[in-house]
Amino acid sequence: MKKKILIVGGGTAGTMTANNLAKKLMPEIDRDEVEITLISDSKYHYYKPGAMYVAFGKSEGYEFVRDQRALLMSEINFEVEKATQINTKSNFVKAQSGKKFEYDFLVLATGCEVAPDRIPGLSEAGDWFYTYEGATKLAKKFHDIKRGRILVTVNFPKTPNIPHQCGIAPVETTMMLHDFLTERGVRDDIEIVYTYPTVAQAVTNGLFMQEPTSNVLPSIFDSLGIKHQSGFTLSKVDPKKKVAISAEGEEIEFDILMSTPPFTATKFIRESGISEALDDEGWLPTDKQTLKVKGLDNVYTLGDTVDLPVSKAGGTVHNQTDVVADNIASELRHGYTSESYDGLVIAIAQMGLSCGMPLWYNYDKDVAPTPCSKLGSFVRKGFNKGIYWAAARGMV
Amino acid sequence: MSEKVEVLKTKEMQELEAKMTMLIQTGRIDNLIDLMALVSDNIEMTTSPMVEKMIGTVDNLATAGFITENAVRYAKRESTKNEVPSLFGILKLMGDKDTRKGLSFMLNLTKGIGKQL
Repeated sequence: MKKKILIVGGGTAGTMTANNLAKKLMPEIDRDEVEITLISDSKYHYYKPGAMYVAFGKSEGYEFVRDQRALLMSEINFEVEKATQINTKSNFVKAQSGKKFEYDFLVLATGCEVAPDRIPGLSEAGDWFYTYEGATKLAKKFHDIKRGRILVTVNFPKTPNIPHQCGIAPVETTMMLHDFLTERGVRDDIEIVYTYPTVAQAVTNGLFMQEPTSNVLPSIFDSLGIKHQSGFTLSKVDPKKKVAISAEGEEIEFDILMSTPPFTATKFIRESGISEALDDEGWLPTDKQTLKVKGLDNVYTLGDTVDLPVSKAGGTVHNQTDVVADNIASELRHGYTSESYDGLVIAIAQMGLSCGMPLWYNYDKDVAPTPCSKLGSFVRKGFNKGIYWAAARGMV
Repeated sequence: MSEKVEVLKTKEMQELEAKMTMLIQTGRIDNLIDLMALVSDNIEMTTSPMVEKMIGTVDNLATAGFITENAVRYAKRESTKNEVPSLFGILKLMGDKDTRKGLSFMLNLTKGIGKQL
């Protein structure tokens, strides 16, 4: 009987995995033994990191949106359906339309979403660049501000040792902001204050979630005149007074609050009953090596939904997707998994508007910070505008 | 008055020095330094808009390759599965929506080429 593989989610993780699976299982697809279906709640595919550039007027946004169908190999069935319920005993996912999708193997790749409402006042007074809507709003404010203070805050999930989306993004955007305001000629009249919470994964009282980078950041920020302080865990915002209040009891006034807000898994996952994360955050209990959801032998997950200590970013997904695809292919063919994820994350951080820093790390080794370069920035921008689409299609 | 200074070198450094000496003696070093300068100049002379335009062209080629690759694979699979169609069979194939979509794309593609000739 034909084996059914169902992928839920049309973001980077779902799209890459669907294409990689189709490539690896082509002989079975040719013999009509395997069927791959991807469902997504949108007919469009969004390249999320592009929003960061929109916030500084360096991109419009439309460049980072494509038809989902156009990114999938023709062997993959694609349906626009919003998944609402999962039944892991009878192996099916139910959509809002009532349609049932049965599976032999399931890949949960529904990512994560901003949850600013979890901090009182943040939705009204704060801004973030993690969505295109939020980035467009920020771009207007960054273009208008002439003097005052821009405060940067970062919130981590309450579940221990899990990062927020794209760990390096607050550092990247702070440095991009410095360059942008300098370009506008208003930097001298605007104070940038970068704050970081007391607890950031394994780091306490630092400026980044990994020790080596945390140690070099003060000198980098000092050289750019960016003020920095640790021990500021945003817990409340007073929208009227424009004051950010920390759990440690400190208050900082701001004109613009560029926040990394709390994140959660999507509603579909949070309501699935599979997660054991704190505060209904919804992260899926994930086997760090096989990338199976713990306790569910035919369900895999990757990307922003997992409860692993690695970055929730495309540079992580790119290394996880082949593990998931290889393991499913191996299970179908031999009945056992064949690959193991080592926690590898590869990315190029945009350290300012025209400087890129290559970085890589895994479960055992932290990022070793290196000087950024113009060439690094070109590679990053080239990836954003072109190579990403090839990677999503499973071509790179 | 000059003093004799003794510098201790590792075996690897000595090997590297020998190789560099050969490059200098044969005059090849000049070309290599010119090449490094050329690479460096090219990085300096490249701008963000140039990178975006270049990568846009690469993306267009990759997209065309992706569409073609998918279509060829599909056509090959269908041709293997089915017998060579009769004339009536070909007409029946024309009744399929995807066939007509592809055919009209090809005709528009021809028109697009014609416009440039």
